[in-house]
Amino acid sequence: MLHADVQVDRREFTVQAALQVAPGERLALFGPSGAGKTTLLETIAGLVQPRRGLISVNGRVLTSTDPPVRAVPPWQRRVGLLRQNPGLFPHLSVRDNLRYAPSVPRSGTELSSLASVLGIADLLPAMPARLSGGQAHRVALGRLLLAHCDVLLLDEPYTGLDASLRRTLTDLVSTLVAERGVPTVLVTHELTDAQAFADRLAVLDHGELLQAGAPDDVVLRPSSRRVAELIGYRGFVPAAAPGSGDQAVAGVHPERVIQGSWPDRGLVLTGVVAAARPAGAGWEADVRVGDALITCRLPDRPPDPGGEAVVTVLDPPYFGADGGALPAVAVTPASRAQIRP
Amino acid sequence: MSVVGAGVIWVALLGPVIVLFDHISGSAIASALTQPGALQPVATSLESGLVTLGVLAFICTPLSWMLARGKLPFPRVWEAGVLCSLLLPPLVIGLLLIFMVGPYTPIGEILSDLHQNATNTFLALVIAEVYESAPYYVLGAQAAFASVEPRLEQQAGLLGDRPGRVFRRVTLPLAAPGLAMSLSIAWARAMGAFGAVIIIAYHPYGIPLEIYTTLQETGLPFALPYALVLLVVALPLPLAAYIWSARAARRRSG
Repeated sequence: MLHADVQVDRREFTVQAALQVAPGERLALFGPSGAGKTTLLETIAGLVQPRRGLISVNGRVLTSTDPPVRAVPPWQRRVGLLRQNPGLFPHLSVRDNLRYAPSVPRSGTELSSLASVLGIADLLPAMPARLSGGQAHRVALGRLLLAHCDVLLLDEPYTGLDASLRRTLTDLVSTLVAERGVPTVLVTHELTDAQAFADRLAVLDHGELLQAGAPDDVVLRPSSRRVAELIGYRGFVPAAAPGSGDQAVAGVHPERVIQGSWPDRGLVLTGVVAAARPAGAGWEADVRVGDALITCRLPDRPPDPGGEAVVTVLDPPYFGADGGALPAVAVTPASRAQIRP
Repeated sequence: MSVVGAGVIWVALLGPVIVLFDHISGSAIASALTQPGALQPVATSLESGLVTLGVLAFICTPLSWMLARGKLPFPRVWEAGVLCSLLLPPLVIGLLLIFMVGPYTPIGEILSDLHQNATNTFLALVIAEVYESAPYYVLGAQAAFASVEPRLEQQAGLLGDRPGRVFRRVTLPLAAPGLAMSLSIAWARAMGAFGAVIIIAYHPYGIPLEIYTTLQETGLPFALPYALVLLVVALPLPLAAYIWSARAARRRSG
């Protein structure tokens, strides 16, 4: 179990977050660039000193600013950190890189079995300069796993690799850390990477942990308008809150919009198409609804600009005047039946 | 055309070496080196040079590392200090060394309590060579350390190596080719040290002073063989370092 509750001063703001990651759990820390994600990881790794905080792994205190004060140096923490640059030692062969950590067992059976799981068994005698980006990352991951770290921190490791390679590596990490029961934190600014990897998603913005929960919950029920914006909600339309009927805004995610009027499935909006363009296998349209502009991803070609469009926003989150989310009213089969004529 | 131009410049730069081989014969070298005591300056130069290298490696390597890693407050001041000793003319260094370690100075008195003397002794020769060669080593070693990615050292630490081990297993091997090059440049400087040496360590003769006094006493033809000896003594180490660092780079590229 990784437990971290820290305040770290940065030039522009203070990073303040409390995290708990269970053994084998995979937490994705999601947020825009400069939100303080890397700072948080570096603090856990002992590379950055927090102003105030407590960090412990499996009950072993690594950092404590309250008495008894502790600051275990990085080399005694057993915290593995993987960055975008795999950081292989260029003067050592792949094999020597893999067994670099003093804690690697001398026997070599674990090394060879892990190397074949990672698909790098043929590369053991090669020098790092010969490896492709994906291969170098596999070696770096193997090196961390062989070091038997108590915690694994992944700092946007696969940025810059192509999407399919990224997915393969992410899946590989997921399987391996789950097998070993290591608490793992992935930092990313790609939501799909976070969703593919994590059991739990935490949203960090400007040094502040805004929301944490199951990826589905965070994406479908953002706790505030700011979280919704970060997650990819691109339009906010004034609407009466369900249940109370108070004035509120509904968050519109481009991928949660369907054509036509389906009042039992969400909020029906009528607007004027402002722009439409092909996107992937479907279409993307900007629709003006009153003063608000919403973007929707649609499978069918929308009306030409200027034409009227009727769309349904599937079960949108609602936000009050303060930006906080309003309690969701579940759309139950019973209520559907009532609405349906 | 550009190759020809570069060739002309290259030959012009190599001119002194070409002329040396043109004006020297095997018999002249043999007769010069078989004079009684003729090999003594060679031995003196080699010995003092090796001691100088040891002192530089031991004292200046940590300083270079700290300069490269920004471990020192006001880094510009430290660098300016190193540059200062690089920019001082060797002759001036020699003069100032007299005032620093000469017999009637505090350091000189400490040395005399230890039954040592820093003028016209082997110790004086080493001191002069250290001062003439140290800045070349410090600046070169600083560049060599700076070329080692700090993230690699950080990664080695996170994998469980304490700082001393990180230095031995990552920093030093990665900086080694650059360190070897700067050490061999310092060696060449120490071998040819003359300006400071002639003032503070006229005796015992190393090769440069042997060349100078032979030139003064018996003329150019007798001095030339020693010039060749100086090249033969000073050059192998830099050449070996060059070849070795090129091979290390090739090995790393797989």
